[in-house]
Amino acid sequence: MGSGAWSTDVYRAASAYRKASGKSAFAYSDSGARKVHPTLNPRGVTARESRDSAEHPQSLAITVLFDVTGSMGKVPRILQEKLPQLLGLLLRKGYATDPQILFGAIGDATCDRAPLQIGQFESDNRMDEHLGNILLEGGGGGQMMESYELAMYFMARRTTIDCYDRRGKRGYLFIIGDEMAYPKVKAREVRDVIGDRLGEDIPLRGIVDEVRRRWDTYYLLPAGSHYAGNRRILDFWRDLLGQQAVELDDLAAVCETIATTVALGEQACDLDTALADLHDVGAGDAADTVSRALARIGADRTPAVRGTLPGGSGHSDQVTRL
Amino acid sequence: MTGRHVAVVDLGYGDAGKGTVVDWFCATRPVEAVIRFNGGGQAAHNVVLPDGRAHTFAQFGAGTFHGVRTHLSRFVVVDPLALAGEATHLAALGVPDALDLVTVDREALLATPYHRAANQAREIARGADRHGSCGMGVGESMSYALAHPDTAPRVGDCLDPGLLRHRLTLLRDRLSAELGPLDAPPVADTVTAFTAFAQRVSIVDGSWTTRLLHAGPVVFEGAQGVLLDEWHGFHPYTTWSTTTFGNVDTLLSEAGMPGAVTRLGVLRVVTPRHGPGPLVTEDPTLRPPERHNGTNAWQGRFRFGHFDAVAHRYALDVTGGVDALALTHLDLVGAHRLQLCGGYDWTDRLPTGPPGDLDRQAALTARLLASRPRYAADPEPEPAAWVDAVRDALGVPVWLTSHGPTAADKVTRLTAAAGR
Repeated sequence: MGSGAWSTDVYRAASAYRKASGKSAFAYSDSGARKVHPTLNPRGVTARESRDSAEHPQSLAITVLFDVTGSMGKVPRILQEKLPQLLGLLLRKGYATDPQILFGAIGDATCDRAPLQIGQFESDNRMDEHLGNILLEGGGGGQMMESYELAMYFMARRTTIDCYDRRGKRGYLFIIGDEMAYPKVKAREVRDVIGDRLGEDIPLRGIVDEVRRRWDTYYLLPAGSHYAGNRRILDFWRDLLGQQAVELDDLAAVCETIATTVALGEQACDLDTALADLHDVGAGDAADTVSRALARIGADRTPAVRGTLPGGSGHSDQVTRL
Repeated sequence: MTGRHVAVVDLGYGDAGKGTVVDWFCATRPVEAVIRFNGGGQAAHNVVLPDGRAHTFAQFGAGTFHGVRTHLSRFVVVDPLALAGEATHLAALGVPDALDLVTVDREALLATPYHRAANQAREIARGADRHGSCGMGVGESMSYALAHPDTAPRVGDCLDPGLLRHRLTLLRDRLSAELGPLDAPPVADTVTAFTAFAQRVSIVDGSWTTRLLHAGPVVFEGAQGVLLDEWHGFHPYTTWSTTTFGNVDTLLSEAGMPGAVTRLGVLRVVTPRHGPGPLVTEDPTLRPPERHNGTNAWQGRFRFGHFDAVAHRYALDVTGGVDALALTHLDLVGAHRLQLCGGYDWTDRLPTGPPGDLDRQAALTARLLASRPRYAADPEPEPAAWVDAVRDALGVPVWLTSHGPTAADKVTRLTAAAGR
């Protein structure tokens, strides 16, 4: 007899059952599905909403969109595995009071079955279900471009977020990928994929400016992915987003990078404290990757709340690997 | 052993070695399945393999290392979260498909994070008066089901996410109204995990037990100990569970095989108790090495007493006797000064009463807390003499002895125990 010898963590259990069944979390995709799951289809959507509620009065919208083509196929699996940690960091470390997370997937509107898949803003692990319904494309066009601009169009015009509308606080948009965007949002693709009728195409820079009004936008480019070593990709995104185009040495640290970015953006703490927090929650392995990725961003933030660690980042002279 | 099936029950306060005995059965003879018939995720049956691998079996039967399937009957309180954690550990030990070996009765109650949080909140509120709860929410689940039999979440509900969500919300709201906010995850998270459990593990109806019992020899693996029984134990230091052979008899009768079982009572050469409550023979100087049990936040200290024949006699009386005994930890004999308590200062035999008279049980507890042990003249220095002394004190043959942690350390002593 005895006691609780075994973990009773609800997230771990869910993932253990999925793993144990030999089924991946992406049961929908792995079951041979060929088209976008109805819950993720952007077509005809009025808006994806992140709303305040009695339970979540300080909602903060966080969107994570990832490329699901080719070599990027493992990103959603990493996200799914690390999701509890991401939520735990945001909540337990007090980076955000009521984070609401939306997941979505980006393909290529010129040739893919699923050019855009968009979940719902969720504040609990129902977001897990959206992840599970994402269709993974594999393959990949090889022309170094994906329809990121179409995803940004959706975020700019088809989301309603209380954090901005009520409190003037921008949400966070993370795009994870390893290719460039097309130069224009094409009216035809918007009509086919989302259902809006546009009079004309929108230039890429126009939609980037528009989406950044309400969304603090980051591009995460994993090193080691297909084109990651390719300066052209990084330069392309740096040109659009400046230091918010971030290169990640290790894809496995994507959740930690997102959490730390939110911590810095919310001025919840400084980079050193956020890195110490990672060690705290057993994610110390990711701390190096995160610190290298975010050195530029962390260095010029003045935290509103001082951590217990001495301030003054020792990393400010480092830049991300170029 | 002439019964078609075997039931393994602890005649003390638990921790006598049911797990190692069940493991030995499954290692040495054909066993169709191990059926659990009481308790839940708080069981901790330790099994050590000859190659050093060790696992604390909580909801998986202690025969899992030998590929023997586990059935959790409707009398078990099932904890899907802990089951996943346990399966993960088994996988790390080289049993990758442990979940394939499990069937669960859909009528079984669920232990949930809300029961657990309520259980712990109550135990904290009791302060110094703790009952020795394991903090797993098993008793909480049983008591909730008594109060709300029609809406208590059960294993079968995990197949219907809408119904499960409704019942978990109701449970959470009721417990919160009583105890304040609970430290537990949102209902939606629990629904996700429990639904994944239902997709992964075979959920069966009551006829499954009958099928197993007709297919081949079954080992019924008890949890806890008779002296902790909800009706006959020393109130309030008891468990919300029937720890006697009662549920085994019920399952056999339902299968049309009443009595087709050999009852095996497990005892240690010392009488341990994990947590508070009477332990008449307690001896602070008696500190044999304890590999598996330590102090934990919920149950408190792991305590040792000398072999308490009076308490074990009472266990035999309330459970209607056993066919044979399995006596474990004989390797302690000679290494420690062990004594045998044959009587207390006021009696050699505790009075039994009708089940469920808790006032009577509480009075018995008070009496025990004031009792003094009387020890037999000389501690036996030899294992064989010890075995005979236990047999004589309890009037039951010792059929199996254990001299170490693995199945290889077990010795059978008789050609046959009286079968039923």
